Formats: sequence, C-alpha cells, structure tokens
Amino acid sequence: MVGNKACATGVKLARVQVASAYPITPQTTITQYLSEMHANAEFDFDFVNVEGELTAQLIVQGASRVGARTFTCTAGPGLLYMHHPMQETGTWRLPVVMAVVHRGYKGMMPDHSDLMSQQWTGWIHWYVEHAQEILDTALMAYKIAEDMRVRIPVAFGYDGYVLSYTAEPVEIPDQETVDAWLPPNKPYPSILPDGYDARKFMMELMEMLGAGDPQNAWKTHHEAILGSEQVLRETMDSFEKTFGRRYGNGMIETYMMEDAEAAIVAMGTIAGSTRSAVDRLRSEGKKVGLIKLRSFIPFPETDFKEWAEKVDAFAVVDRSICPGKGGPVFNKLRSTLYNVEERPDILQFHAGLGGKEVRIGDLCNVGEKALKVVQGGMVESLVEWV
Amino acid sequence: MSERMIRSQIPLEERSLSPGSACQGCGAALAARLAFKALGPNVIRLMIPCCPDTMTNNPLVVGVFEGGGAHLSGISRGLKAINRSDVTAVGFFGDGGTYDIGMQGLSAAAERNENILVITKDNEAYMNTGNQRSGSTPQYAMTSTNPIGPKSRGKARPKKNIPLIFAAHYVPYVATASVAFPEDLIAKVSYAKEVEGFRLIVIQSPCPVGWRYSPEKTIEVSRIGVQSGVWPLYEVIDGDKFKLSYKPKELKPVSEYIRYQARFRHVTDVEVAEVQKRATSNWEQLLRSDELGRLFI
Repeated sequence: MVGNKACATGVKLARVQVASAYPITPQTTITQYLSEMHANAEFDFDFVNVEGELTAQLIVQGASRVGARTFTCTAGPGLLYMHHPMQETGTWRLPVVMAVVHRGYKGMMPDHSDLMSQQWTGWIHWYVEHAQEILDTALMAYKIAEDMRVRIPVAFGYDGYVLSYTAEPVEIPDQETVDAWLPPNKPYPSILPDGYDARKFMMELMEMLGAGDPQNAWKTHHEAILGSEQVLRETMDSFEKTFGRRYGNGMIETYMMEDAEAAIVAMGTIAGSTRSAVDRLRSEGKKVGLIKLRSFIPFPETDFKEWAEKVDAFAVVDRSICPGKGGPVFNKLRSTLYNVEERPDILQFHAGLGGKEVRIGDLCNVGEKALKVVQGGMVESLVEWV
Repeated sequence: MSERMIRSQIPLEERSLSPGSACQGCGAALAARLAFKALGPNVIRLMIPCCPDTMTNNPLVVGVFEGGGAHLSGISRGLKAINRSDVTAVGFFGDGGTYDIGMQGLSAAAERNENILVITKDNEAYMNTGNQRSGSTPQYAMTSTNPIGPKSRGKARPKKNIPLIFAAHYVPYVATASVAFPEDLIAKVSYAKEVEGFRLIVIQSPCPVGWRYSPEKTIEVSRIGVQSGVWPLYEVIDGDKFKLSYKPKELKPVSEYIRYQARFRHVTDVEVAEVQKRATSNWEQLLRSDELGRLFI
C-alpha cells in the first residue's frame, strides 16, 4: 500500500464525516482515493472537491465548528495558501486533522520547509516515517485533537514521493476495533441554535480561549499544546494495548540508543535511512544510535534532557532551513539543552533539502563525525551540508 | 418567486441586540434588522470582517475575510453531517467579502450549489475602514482611495453586476433588495430561507458617511436609487426564470439619485449622461427579461 492510500484508509477507519481537499502533487492521490471512497459509498462521509486550499481549510473549519469530524490534506505551496484560515482553526481550537505530504519550495521534491513554515499557526506538528505509521498516526491524531484536555488541530507530515507514492506492507486494523478505541466527536462549545444562549456560549468560549484577553488566549493555547505531550504518551500506550504497535513514547522513537555515545536526530523518511546507517556503524563497533523526532510541536524537551545525560553528542539532520537562521530542529534542540548541567555537543547537518538524495553512507558520515567529536577529535565546522 | 407581503406581515419579534455600534442612518444595520426578523432563531450566522451593522441574537461564527462563502459551505456541510440540515447557514457579508476578496470561494460555492444563504449588505465601498473603493463602488463615486484630482474623476469604472454574475452560476435563487422596500426585502429573505441550495440576496444599504448625505435621508436615497433604475429590484431562479419586483411606469432620472450624495458632487452633466445611459440600457434589458419571464443577457 502506498503512503497516500494508507492515509486515505486511516481517514476511512477514523469515520471522518467531512473531508475536503484540493489536489496538489504529491498529495493528489489522497483526493482521488477519497473521491472514489465517496463515489462508491465505502463509508458515510461527505467529500468536498474544492477550488483551492484556502477553501479546503475553511470547509473543514466550518464543519468542525458545528461538531463534525473533519480531514483535509495538502502539500508545500497549498499549505502556504491556507495559512490564514489555519491560524483561525488554531485560534478557535478546532480538532481538525490535516495530512501534509511534504513538498519543497525550490522544486517539487520533498523537504520539511512547508510544515516548518507553519509553526506559528497554533497546531500540533508531527513527522511520520513510513506508511504504517501514516495510518496509525491518522487515528491517533483524532484521539488527541478531540481530547477535552487538548482541543488543538493536528497536522502530520510525511515525505512526498518517497512515502506518498511508494508501496510498503501495511496492516489495516478492523473497523470494530477502531470504533471502540476512537468514539465519535462532540462539539464544544455547542454553536447550535437549540436553546442557544449567547452569554453562556461566550462564557464557555472565553474560558476555552482565555477569558477574552488575547495575551491570555495565547497563554492557554501554548499550555494546551504543551499539555498534549502527556496525552500523546497516554494515547501511545492505549494504542499499543489495542493495536499492538507503538512508536516510541509518541514524542520520540529511539533505535540502538541503550549504550550509544552519540545520537543522530532525524525526522520522517531520513529517520528510516538512519536506522540502516546505525546498523552499519554498529557492525563496525561504533556506538551510534537514532532518536527519531516524531513531535516537533510540542517539542520533547524532557526526553532530550534525559538523553543529554547519557550521550555526549547529538548530530541533528535538518530537512528544512530558515535561510539566514539555520535548521529549526537544531536550533530548538540547542536552546532546549542550554540549561542542562553537562551540555552535549550539538552538530548541525543540512540534508535532503529540495529532495536531495540522502544515502546511507552520508548518514554513516554524520554518525562518525559525531563520534569524532565525542572522542575529543577536531572537526572543521559544527555545521555541514550533506 | 417570493410572495407579495404587506407591512403588517413583518414579524414583530426583534432579533437585533441593541444598542448596536452602527452610525446614525446606517442602511446595513436596517438590512440586518429586517433580514434576521425574517430568518428567525434557527440559523447560524457567519460574520466576516465588515461594517459592524447590528448583532443579532443568533449563534455567531466569526471567520476570515477572504473565506465567507467557503467557510459557510463548511458550516452547512457540517450541519448535514450531524443531521441538522434544519438549521440554515447564513452569511451576512459586506460588498468587500462578496464582490472582492471573497469572490473566489463564493463563486466556487455557487458552482457546487452549496446549501447556503448569503446576504450581502452592499454599501458600495469598504466603509468599515473608512470608505476605500471596492468592486462595488459605482462609476465616478469619490472614495478615500478615489480622491478627485487632475488625474482622477472618482472611480473610473462601473460596479460589477454581482447578482447577474451569480445568476450565471445557475443557482436556485438570486435576488436584489433595498432597505427602502422592507416588505419586498422580508418576502425575499423568507422565500430564500426555504429554498435548498445556493441563495444570494444583495441588499442596497446606503451609508451616510461614505455616500455623504444627511443620515435621515437613508430611505429617500435608497428609494430614489430603485426608482431611477440604478438599483433595480428583481429575482432570478436557476439563472433562468426572471421577475422584476418593482416596475415603475417611467424611471426617474439618475441625476435625482446622484444629487443627493456628495460623493458625486464633482460630476459633470456629461458624466451624469453616461451614468444615465448605462442605467437606461440595463433597465431595458431587465424589462425585456421581465416580459419574457426569463433572464435575457
């Protein structure tokens, strides 16, 4: 099953009620799969084929407003086009779920600059590694977005082409199991006219958004996103109990980290290649592990602080760049570890930008360079373009 | 087509939450007051940035400026998904949200025949931000972005014919209305509420501040606008069936409409003649359509 099919299957299993999307490579086939599911009445939902991403985001925003479970998906430029309503979906804290099939701006091949550019919209941002994880993440996204402790929209991204159009074996859970695990959504606060009381509605809304004070609204929004970390950890446990699969603790997933001296930090499909690189390095006796970053927002600060006590160097592979500022994961990790007592070395690697191929050998070099730093060796620069 | 109404049939119950924050003589506030009387309680109202006409005691959703039609479609789809199609999704937008920034999403919603009711209170400029031109501003009107000077005679081009643009989407219902004809306005909104599919009602809503006339003259200005053929009242069903709602034996000259408003105070007789020519030609086209009972473009 290709990544986009896994995504559409997740949407179906989650019993989404209203979905809307505008086709854009490499997301296009999701809109086709959903259109087919709608035409063949595979499940009871409404799919709105729209004239642009702005409308796609607004359709799900409006439908979510009255309490429907919604889904939209896009890629690169389409994500930028829906930026304004995304901000609004975040502000009203609607449990919308969106798949972002990464597409770069310099060319059409994938990098993470699309979703990274939306950090200020007030959504939860996850990065996904393989097709099975896409399906499972779609289910988990609803569980978390709709949790009354969270009420935050979720965007999860996966690399275009490499995942969207590439087939992998995927295990599909049965509908009854999903239904039992993911009950239907309830709107909050209710906007329906029956017994509508403007004052009560405003009070509920203000309570959720932060008492009509914009700064306080930002504070409650920020705290709700930070609080979703705990909910994600719990959700990962209950997901494993029901479906028998887990992805680390939800925030990060580690590979060969038990006795590692240096860690490669990577996201998305590069994390997949890094597993092979770690295997190769281990076969040579080099103690390197992988920390796969799943949740960029909220950022797993506690996890990294814990790992900072155990490893001496982090090699961060960033698949996006803020020109003139650097890699977002690198910068975030470095500021996270500023306050720890024994600061590890943190190295920056720019890789896979605009879909540039990242070979296993490249990632082995990344690991070796980190080890060299651990062993006190000299390196020319802490920043490297792979 | 809507049924003819008399004044005593206008619902007594007020839905406006007073006091509003509108200016004295605001046409849009009156449009909102009348329209929501006809709509009653079972609606969800979508508001996008526009002049603060009057709040009504209805569930209110506030959305992005450029997304009126799109957002309203989402609300309507959501209501259908939760089996609450009895609730009407109503958008109460200004001309900016309809003619200009929201045009793409609204046109697409019309093309998909979304089950939404859009009411536009047309005050012919961005009055909320201080009378900047919009796609609805008429020719030669002075606005804060069309000042009069050696290189400017006010707005250079006539306003878009939005009702007929939407009629050309073959939607179930398009109508124009005016605050000077409240029975007709309420009859049209009441009729539109019961229609399924995309509905658009454009209400002429004079603005004393932007159009520059004395606030007590709002009704007079709107009435003369209708009587002179500048703002004809009509209904179009499925982009085909057509009916004029108000048909005077003879049109009043547009100069009577123009001279009320200081936004036109610079216009010359030649320019008035040009406006008159267009108004007459439009009126003849509509009259012909009315005779045929079909929209003749």
